Amino acid sequence: MSDKLNKYFEQHKVLYFLFNFVLIVSLLKLFQVTAYPDANFSEALTSGNIQFMLFGMDDELGGLVLTFYLAFTAIILSFIFGSILGIARWSDIKIFKIPATLFIELFRSIPHIMVIFWVFFAMPIFFAMVFNIKVTSSALTSAIVAFTLFESAHIAEIVRAGLNSMPKGQFEAAKTLGMNHWQTFTLIILPQAYRRMIPSLVSQFVSLFKDTSLVYVIGVVEFFRAATIINNRIYMSFEILSIVAIIYFLCAFTLSTIAGQLEKKVEKQINT
Amino acid sequence: MGYEFDWSVLLTYKQLLIDGFIMTLKLSIIGIFFAFLIGAILGLARVSKNFFISLLATYYLEFFRNIPLIVQMFFIYFSFTLTDSFPFLETFGTWIGIENHNEFFSALIALITYTSTYIAEAIRGGIQSLPKGQLEASKTLGMNYFQSMYFIIFPQAIKIVWGPVTSQFLNLIKNSSLAMTIGVAELTFQTQEIDSLTFRGFEAATAVTILYLFLTLMTSYIMAFINKYMLIKTSSKGGNIR
Repeated sequence: MSDKLNKYFEQHKVLYFLFNFVLIVSLLKLFQVTAYPDANFSEALTSGNIQFMLFGMDDELGGLVLTFYLAFTAIILSFIFGSILGIARWSDIKIFKIPATLFIELFRSIPHIMVIFWVFFAMPIFFAMVFNIKVTSSALTSAIVAFTLFESAHIAEIVRAGLNSMPKGQFEAAKTLGMNHWQTFTLIILPQAYRRMIPSLVSQFVSLFKDTSLVYVIGVVEFFRAATIINNRIYMSFEILSIVAIIYFLCAFTLSTIAGQLEKKVEKQINT
Repeated sequence: MGYEFDWSVLLTYKQLLIDGFIMTLKLSIIGIFFAFLIGAILGLARVSKNFFISLLATYYLEFFRNIPLIVQMFFIYFSFTLTDSFPFLETFGTWIGIENHNEFFSALIALITYTSTYIAEAIRGGIQSLPKGQLEASKTLGMNYFQSMYFIIFPQAIKIVWGPVTSQFLNLIKNSSLAMTIGVAELTFQTQEIDSLTFRGFEAATAVTILYLFLTLMTSYIMAFINKYMLIKTSSKGGNIR
């Protein structure tokens, strides 16, 4: 029976989607009825609350928009910084290699929340002590800096793994064509290595997107913080937090499905 | 504007740090045990040939993997009173010396559900990377599905994915710091505690950072040790991999 079902659903993708949709919604409903029978979603989700959760206050950026802004900025910055670090660790030049290794290993072995605290509380004092300038950093800036530091250490490892996975023949072939080191690296190795890294990079970005909820601790009013603010006011945690969970799920699931599709595509390209 | 370090606060408040370290250890050890157990079961369920078992496992994995850990913790903590619904948690909590049962178990359950999905994915990858002949050969020897999974497939798969599983264990230890947001008195929470008592947050944060480094390094050494001395034996018993 299982084989038949598998085959049937492979041929009818739309039916499979509908089947899953109905099953998931009924499972969620069943969970709600058994675990929290007197949930009242319409009272929790007034238009004002929804607007606050999605866009924040009128005069400043907040809510889900801020989450996306934060994730997007951090992705671009940590991609650039992480690539530099990864290449530095991969290279044989010791002046670059040792600091990069230390940086990566340090940031990979302490919790994300500690990094956020460090940046938020220590950065102004650090700048005052070392460069003798007064830096007043907002919570949002420190959040972006913390994400860049933390994620670039993880991305650097992906970059290094991608570079290591390049077969040696590529270097030798490039040399036979008369290319120098720099040309070999930028024209031959990097483009191919990045193509291999795409799936792991995208899944790292998905986890970055989920981690943006951590800036809750330093008071950036992004999606999760906005939801908890509303929750503190009306105290309907089941309704609000389940909506938050579902919205996070939808965003992250879409991204990770894209990552899965890319992985298949890349594998095909490498194998042919 | 300078900042003068005063490390003596660490000695004065060393009891707080020790308590926090023990709490982090408790969260990590129990969390790792159950996350691995549930992850292994889910990983096996995910590759199951039964349509509904693998579908339900997929639902679980996708659902808990794509919701941020902090949201899961808040959801469990603020929506339910765990000790009311499951009285045995209170007995268990008292036995391992926990005072705030609800906070601890909310954090623990969220950690377990979140990490077990990653472990399950790793184990699924390991099982699928094994050659098909292994399962067929064990069937020829007269083993049933569970026997061949338990004796042949799983020991080999776990050896292949030991690295990713280790890094998930480390992630669990690091993620246990999120439990501070719902008030579990673990290491990061104690940093804030010392900061609010003495206004010496940097000294405390430095000490805690070093403690986390120590904990993660120790765990990866232990896992490497297990990999070196224990897993090889199982795999040579179960047959050579590739």
